[in-house]
Amino acid sequence: MTKRLDGGLIDRSKPLNFTFNGKKMQGFQGDTLASGLIANGQKIVGRSFKYHRPRGIFTSGSEEPNALVQLRSGAHQEPNTRATVAELFEGLTATSQNHRGSLENDIMGGIDLLSPFLSAGFYYKTFMWPKSFWEKVYEPFIRSSAGLGRLSMEVDPDSYDKGHAHCDVLVIGSGPAGLMAALSAAKSGAEVIFADEDALMGGRLNAETFEVGGQSGSEWAAATVAELSSMSNVRVMNRTTVYGSYDHGIYGALERRTDHLVSSNGKPRQIAWKIYSKRAILCAGATERSIAFGNNDRPGIMLSGSVRTYANRFAVTPGQSVAILTNNDDGWRTAADLHAKGVDLAAVVDTRDTSPLGSFTGASIVTGAAVKDTKGRKGLQNITLTNGQTIQADCLAVAGGWNPNVHLTCHQRGRPTWNEDLSAFVPGGELPPGMIVAGSANGTYGLAGCLAEGRDAANTTVKDLGFTASRTQAPKAEDEASSVTPIWHVPAGKSRCWIDLQNDVSSKDVKLASSEGYRSVELLKRYTTLGMATDQGKTANVLGLAVLAEAQGKSIPETGTTIFRPPYTPVAMGALGGRAVGLDFRPFRLTPSHKWAEENGATFVEAGMWLRAQWYAKTGEQGWRDSVDREVIATRKSVGICDVTTLGKIDIQGKDAAAFLNKVYANAFGKLAAGKVRYGLMLREDGIVMDDGTTACMAENHYVMTTTTANAGPVFRHLDFCRQVLYPDMDVHIISVTDGWAQFAVAGPNARKLLQKVVDEQHDISNEGFPFMACGEISVCGGVPSRLFRISFSGEMAYEIAVPSQYGDDMIRALMSAGEEFDAVPYGTEALGVMRIEKGHAAGNELTGQTSALNLGLGGMVSKNKDCIGKTLSKRPDMNRDDVWNLVGLQPVDKSVPLNAGAHFLEKGAEPNMTNDLGWMTSVAYSPSLGYSIGLGFVKAGSTRKGDVIRAWDAMRKKDVDVEIVSAHFIDPEGERLRA
Amino acid sequence: MPDFTLTEKPALGGFDHDFDGTSLKENVGLAIVSVAIPLGGDDAVAEALKSAYGADTPVVGDSSLSKDGATRIIRTATDQLFVLFQHETPDAAQIVAGKLGDAGYYVDQTHNWVGLTLDGPLSRAALERVCAMNLHKDRFPLNKAERTVMEHMGAIVARTGEDAFLLLSASSSAGSYLHAIETSLKYVS
Repeated sequence: MTKRLDGGLIDRSKPLNFTFNGKKMQGFQGDTLASGLIANGQKIVGRSFKYHRPRGIFTSGSEEPNALVQLRSGAHQEPNTRATVAELFEGLTATSQNHRGSLENDIMGGIDLLSPFLSAGFYYKTFMWPKSFWEKVYEPFIRSSAGLGRLSMEVDPDSYDKGHAHCDVLVIGSGPAGLMAALSAAKSGAEVIFADEDALMGGRLNAETFEVGGQSGSEWAAATVAELSSMSNVRVMNRTTVYGSYDHGIYGALERRTDHLVSSNGKPRQIAWKIYSKRAILCAGATERSIAFGNNDRPGIMLSGSVRTYANRFAVTPGQSVAILTNNDDGWRTAADLHAKGVDLAAVVDTRDTSPLGSFTGASIVTGAAVKDTKGRKGLQNITLTNGQTIQADCLAVAGGWNPNVHLTCHQRGRPTWNEDLSAFVPGGELPPGMIVAGSANGTYGLAGCLAEGRDAANTTVKDLGFTASRTQAPKAEDEASSVTPIWHVPAGKSRCWIDLQNDVSSKDVKLASSEGYRSVELLKRYTTLGMATDQGKTANVLGLAVLAEAQGKSIPETGTTIFRPPYTPVAMGALGGRAVGLDFRPFRLTPSHKWAEENGATFVEAGMWLRAQWYAKTGEQGWRDSVDREVIATRKSVGICDVTTLGKIDIQGKDAAAFLNKVYANAFGKLAAGKVRYGLMLREDGIVMDDGTTACMAENHYVMTTTTANAGPVFRHLDFCRQVLYPDMDVHIISVTDGWAQFAVAGPNARKLLQKVVDEQHDISNEGFPFMACGEISVCGGVPSRLFRISFSGEMAYEIAVPSQYGDDMIRALMSAGEEFDAVPYGTEALGVMRIEKGHAAGNELTGQTSALNLGLGGMVSKNKDCIGKTLSKRPDMNRDDVWNLVGLQPVDKSVPLNAGAHFLEKGAEPNMTNDLGWMTSVAYSPSLGYSIGLGFVKAGSTRKGDVIRAWDAMRKKDVDVEIVSAHFIDPEGERLRA
Repeated sequence: MPDFTLTEKPALGGFDHDFDGTSLKENVGLAIVSVAIPLGGDDAVAEALKSAYGADTPVVGDSSLSKDGATRIIRTATDQLFVLFQHETPDAAQIVAGKLGDAGYYVDQTHNWVGLTLDGPLSRAALERVCAMNLHKDRFPLNKAERTVMEHMGAIVARTGEDAFLLLSASSSAGSYLHAIETSLKYVS
């Protein structure tokens, strides 16, 4: 703790212990890791990306290109964290990255000696031959020797969340313009969200010594933030970076909730907010830029405004003998502030031929010259000026001018424009709708101007929204001098002049790219990597552009600019994912019998969002096939019960309900009587089958449609579209009742006997009283309202019984108890699938969105006597050729051979190619009823080829099986069982 | 008479928990009946609602209360209303049909939904983590009721008190829905 100055905004009563590379250090509450490192005399904080050059802290904010460290340890380890924005906390552990051996003696530092061979585009030019070396040799070597931090490779133990916030006015940035904008907007009564990336709001007011309204800038900022925080219509969000501007006034913002704490205590570490704003005022300030001169990357060389920040806000000086290089008035302010703090000034070097703007004891004042080169491998020792003078200094503050932070103005393709007076890009062209820019972000650098512009922007904005602008006056302040004469690059002979410190891009690289034809700034970026990675070139882009312009003999606006994309600063993938991790990735839908199924050994399968019982394992069974075979055999022998709650159920009512069904179904529904169910086939407009299912007529003008599980949503949407758009004059109303009913298929020869034990006595469910395809409202177990449908998917005599879903758990238990005397079994979706293949029912594998009614053998269902959706296009000639695919059954000639779904059919001896392709196997199963593998598939003109033997050729599994084309109805082709 | 009896089991087992003064509980016994308004039958439904409940017909996005405050009517679509009231037995549709007569088409929706009551100072902070709607007191006034999506789940949010909301979502995903709200409350409490 040798570098502390007086003053500052740190809390000296709260010391904080932390470590850097295992070395114990101490800072104070209010410090960043960077200021803490400076206070402890740590010069080198990392190694550069490509050449492993020693690097120190360069800035004091989120634009930092150098000081990237790993924070915390173990699974909590986070690489590539900018030390300049990492708040210090008790016990913080930080380590440097991208070096082998110690930070001070990186054995990879020798790469720097090879730099003449490693210019821009080196990889593209060099690692071309042999081709096979790229993945095995070159890439692994490059990846291991270059790069940033490393992931822990453990699951992130932190939690993250998302949020939705709404406001009339979003104020982005809490500097003088932002504070005035927020205050003015808030006093008008508008709902305001006021966000800033810093923990301490106030922006540059906390870094400068300006007075605002007769008090220090930081005091005024604190008082204003306190006032805003007390207002019920203002939401103050510090530690929140508004990182992106999106459509409709939506902004992405990352709030760092617990990054400054030892532990998150189970709360989200970060929250990714969607901010829905009616208007936004961008007061993001400006970022200082550097000047490219020889070896301008040594530890101790820092941006001038940042040196001022460290001195004024954090009460530390980055050097004991500080030199200043400036091309504008701002550098002189750094000199004045440091001098006032008692820091020794070695020199003030102004590149302009101007009268000195100050004199400081012991400091050389040089004008009309620049720094040409520097010395000091692990920390700056001296600087050499263009006039030949050498000055001893351990810190060089570089003031190259300021760039407005226009990033968010570009996120919807707005292009900034060049302002010659400021020598900087300012917001231009089309801003994101609803955005207005104020303060330094708008190129207004003076304090008084920023305050006034913030207020004016707010007043304009709130008036636009219908509020009455407040009469809040901007407090008194001065506009500081900000004259600049740009100098971008000081030629330095053989020494490299660094432009992008994060990517080790020098002025030579830019010139080389230009000479090799990469004249577009976009190409320059991609060829040299200028402006990439975590800082996105915030301190480098304009400098690089200027050097490119210089190389091409053009002006900067003639050369162009890159525009910015979200995010403004890095956003962790965890934050973007929020809480949607693991089992929280998406919701689950459970059937009412889920708990019972768990208790009875069910294995579940995801069907959409549903979890469905796939099979119920019994003790002693060796695998799923044992369970499925048992379930099928038991069901066909006696009775089985399957939860079919997941099937879509749509209640349809209205005077025109029958006419509506007649339109949406291909087959006739106009005369379906109450108490009857009919199988229905639904076509798309193009004549392709959309879905199938049954619809029951519960009463006059009242129907219940069932859909497949997967198509419950799409069919409902389709029906809603039809009734609202195609048939708005029909009186028809639909509502989903899928979740409202727990529905169970009870199938097998003893299904009726079982059900008679739970259905109330007054209901006749005999074959005569309740025949195949009957339905009705009944009651069970002493009066519980229920619905009964005599339908079968298994091919057995079967019913589906539905009770209100909150009775579902009791119902499955009642059914199983009632079925004990019949050895009833529960069966899952696998047995369901096996039995439907045995019966030849089409399902999702066959209803692929490519198949027609004719393909499915259901061509006769497309009524000739009425119109329906899809009818016209189902008549297209190519869909009705004689050789269209037909759904058929397939069985292996050698019954011991299993079949594979996905196999393609070929004539015996035919070459396997597309010309000879006869179709494909859609579904296969081992049939425990038959004792061998069976399949369903589409075969060209298959309905005319029963008995033919063809090949099922499976290229993926390298199988070639002779199969016989048979009826798709392997079990009970006459349907005697289901009508029993 | 069958040997079996069935009892209703609330989707969330009657969940009831307090999070730093904000309560979250399953609304057990909440009956929901949808009333479809026949084509051209708006006036008839409005008259029936007025007559049966003393309630105005709400516009889409709003709800109204019966004169005795025991029944809430939510307008879920231009041709659809939900009538909500406490009722234990599974005949809610008949109850509403008995009151409104032939004015509408009725479907019992009770078991399609799970109802949660969220009440307390943390309610908005919790909801904003999962709900995109603006629930500000002035923008989402008392009795406002909107359909929305939370964590991929369809939902209806109705403001029933100063800091109180009735939350409805599909009963099949009730566990996931509760988890979403509960997690939010844990995060903000």
